[in-house]
Amino acid sequence: MNAVVRKQMSIHPDVMDLLNNQIAMEMKASASYLAMASWCDQRELLNSKDFFYKQAEEEREHAMKIFTFINDNGGAAVSPNVTNVNNDFESLRAVYETGLEQEIAVTESIFKIFKTARKQDDYITEVFLQWFITEQSEEEDTFRSILDVFDLMEGMPLKMIDERFPKE
Amino acid sequence: MNYESDIEYCYQIKQATFCKYVLITPSKEVQLTFPQMLELRRKIYDLTTFNTLNEIINTDNFVLLFVADKQHLIYLDIPQLLKLKEEIELFFLDFNPVLV
Ligand SMILES: [Fe+2]
Ligand SMILES: [Fe+2]
Repeated sequence: MNAVVRKQMSIHPDVMDLLNNQIAMEMKASASYLAMASWCDQRELLNSKDFFYKQAEEEREHAMKIFTFINDNGGAAVSPNVTNVNNDFESLRAVYETGLEQEIAVTESIFKIFKTARKQDDYITEVFLQWFITEQSEEEDTFRSILDVFDLMEGMPLKMIDERFPKE
Repeated sequence: MNYESDIEYCYQIKQATFCKYVLITPSKEVQLTFPQMLELRRKIYDLTTFNTLNEIINTDNFVLLFVADKQHLIYLDIPQLLKLKEEIELFFLDFNPVLV
């Protein structure tokens, strides 16, 4: 019977469950970045607004990448519920800090799936996740650099700080 | 107490052909494809989390569940629900990728 399950699906069922959770996490991140984009857009923080609109799109792409991966390997991808999106922030700095926290949580979650895939000898998922690990290290670096700008320009008007952020 | 052995015969999963499975219920046999099987697995796992189980016990004490793309409706009380979860876990156990 086990061999039959194997022929129907080339990824491990437990890993598939974790990947489905990851889809939900990426979609939640996308929704969360959209809220941040709106907050910046309303305050004419042009670079930040562009940055977060783009992040929102990228997170959706990540979700879709995992979504099609699961189905391509004979599993069942699940379209997730996205609830409790926070639209309320106290400052631009807090927006970026929340972003970094979110990225760190995603990195940890990817590591957890990677470990499980390894433990279950699910080589297909292990290789698939390598792209995500590289991506996460870049994402975290981007957010940390922006937070460094805040430290360097402490006390300056928000719009001036915003103008210092790297344009995409 | 022989309720355990009664449950044994309540819900079972068997493999029919290469990609057909059968869910044997007390009243009928339901044919399942692999995607339908995965959907059943997902639903049963959702229903057997601590919170959901608690909620079921505190309300109806049973669940009605659509299976096989909503072609069949099955009735599960708590022991049956837990037994079916075990059956599904067993079915997906020992996933060993084949090295070609
Ligand atoms: Fe992501
Ligand atoms: Fe990200």
